[in-house]
Amino acid sequence: MHRRDFLQLATVASACAATPIDIPKYRVVSRFAPSPKPGMPGPFPGKAVRVHSEKSVDTATGSVDAPTVTEMLSRGMRSLTGAKDERDAWANFFDASDVVGIKVNCSGAPKIFSARQLVGGIVDNLIARGIPARNIYIYERFPDQLSSVRYDRYLPAGINIFAAEATRGSSASYDPNTYVETNFFGEDDTRSNMIRLVTERFTKIINVPNMKDHAAAGVTGCLKNIAYGDFSNVARSHNREKTNTLSFIGTLAMVEPLRSRTVLQIMDGLRGVWHGGPFSEDPKFRFYPKTIVFGTDPVAIDRLLLDVIETKRKAEGALSIWDRSIDNVKPGRLDPHFGSFIREPGHIEYASRLGLGVYDLQKIAVTNIEV
Amino acid sequence: MTLFLAALLPVLATGPADADAVKLPVPKVEYRINEASASRSPWIDANGWQLLRAPTRHYFYDVPAASVALAAAEAFMYGAKVDIHTESAGAAIFNRMLQFLREIPERGELPTLANIGVIDDGSAETGELMNLLTRRNLLYRNVTAPDPQLGLNIRLGSQQYPKSEAADPSKLAQKIRTELTDDKRLLRVYGSEVVITRLVGAGGQVRIHLLNYANRPVTGLRVRVLGNYPSWHVAAYDKPDLKLEDFTASDGATEFTVPEMSTYAVIDLSKSSSH
Repeated sequence: MHRRDFLQLATVASACAATPIDIPKYRVVSRFAPSPKPGMPGPFPGKAVRVHSEKSVDTATGSVDAPTVTEMLSRGMRSLTGAKDERDAWANFFDASDVVGIKVNCSGAPKIFSARQLVGGIVDNLIARGIPARNIYIYERFPDQLSSVRYDRYLPAGINIFAAEATRGSSASYDPNTYVETNFFGEDDTRSNMIRLVTERFTKIINVPNMKDHAAAGVTGCLKNIAYGDFSNVARSHNREKTNTLSFIGTLAMVEPLRSRTVLQIMDGLRGVWHGGPFSEDPKFRFYPKTIVFGTDPVAIDRLLLDVIETKRKAEGALSIWDRSIDNVKPGRLDPHFGSFIREPGHIEYASRLGLGVYDLQKIAVTNIEV
Repeated sequence: MTLFLAALLPVLATGPADADAVKLPVPKVEYRINEASASRSPWIDANGWQLLRAPTRHYFYDVPAASVALAAAEAFMYGAKVDIHTESAGAAIFNRMLQFLREIPERGELPTLANIGVIDDGSAETGELMNLLTRRNLLYRNVTAPDPQLGLNIRLGSQQYPKSEAADPSKLAQKIRTELTDDKRLLRVYGSEVVITRLVGAGGQVRIHLLNYANRPVTGLRVRVLGNYPSWHVAAYDKPDLKLEDFTASDGATEFTVPEMSTYAVIDLSKSSSH
């Protein structure tokens, strides 16, 4: 096997030119050449379609209304693509020969996760495109989180539901030849490897993150879900109060073939977490934006997410996601007036400088749809 | 030169420990998930540093049945003269491991391969440094004087490595790693924090010992060895049919994946295709 090393040091250097902190040295190893038209930011850079429906979630129970979500999915995809019907909208991205991975987010499970109704709707549209169930995968890294959602009860027979780490920390399902190598704090295992299904099986990926606060990254949306959700050994980036999430998230998302194959972003903001994320242990930190956001540009969608989380935190009297005072870092405390780390919401702007999308709000075209 | 005594097998003791034998702690892993610390890495109780420091001494373990296989493999890996005391339930486990150790191909006495020389003054500080180097797979061997063939030579109390730095052995081990650089390390492992390695070899062949200190299997362990070694043979405890995966030998390094190992695996690599 021929391996090509794509050393992205020049790109990283330009991305951090305006950042007054040290960026770790990253060595990116991949045998996959960058695509001339990578999935991120894809055909719709700087574009986001927000579909909101008051009836999408019963806030008393947290339950999701399936018919409403189906309608939101249809309207969102048609608006994003400009297609006259759903079939044409999905045909923009997929055909019957594709093997599709749906990267869900289950770190807030069993309460907050990529909604079964939304994932089910995505699967229905893929099958309608002629993709066999055996070529569709719902995937996550950790089996305990994924299995607690029970997607199997809501999906057609034959859909693959796959967790990369049969036991926590197992590297068996990661590609030993596709990785990012860096030494953050002296850890001996300096590699983060990409999930093997991504390099060897999938032709396309749909990213379905939630709208959540993240104690280390500031927020967790499209970029964090696709980056940390597709590589091993990533928690090492936030082993200390001052983390390396600023640069690591975008660096991982750039690695081929992940960048080229992730062709669609559908952010599930039906339910969200405004503090304590990415987990959802305390119900008082949950909220209900009742929104799904569509696009191909993960940076643009995440830029909008920053304001959603910050606005909600401000309304609740919580510490700003932009606060960088070490005095406000109290690890282990689930108190919204403090953080467990210095948050790095700048990871989204950093990713934009790598070429993953549009960060400037003035250049992001947002379409709002009410269902 | 420290030699690896490949054929020295541990013994299951039936009586009291010999008066001259040194007791070794029970080898194990302690996970520290809920403990505030600079690192969330598990803590490994390993005896390699003691066995390397005094390789000709007589040692003994007194271990529960669950630790017998690990203790026997640890003793074998370092070529130490060891008696193992255990409860009756441990005898069958010991015999199974002993049978495995006997079936490992004999390669003769192969010298230790290392990046670092440690000039051992016999102090507790140097002992703890050796312990940290062992646990972090920073390959070293004991030397009586600096060896120019090695990448680094460490003598605690020297200007470069003052005794005061030994107060934080973890930080000192990190300093040594930084000075050596990862690129020059003869052996690296990825995908586990609980596997300790040992490397011996000569004449175009190397033997890699992989010892898993956890009580559950390690899967997908990636190993990198400097040098192109296109041929391999693996012997793995409880995994008689184990095959290495994703094997590459090019650009001055050999890499492979051990798909699953239980307590102990021995991998022989050779530059000769007839190996």
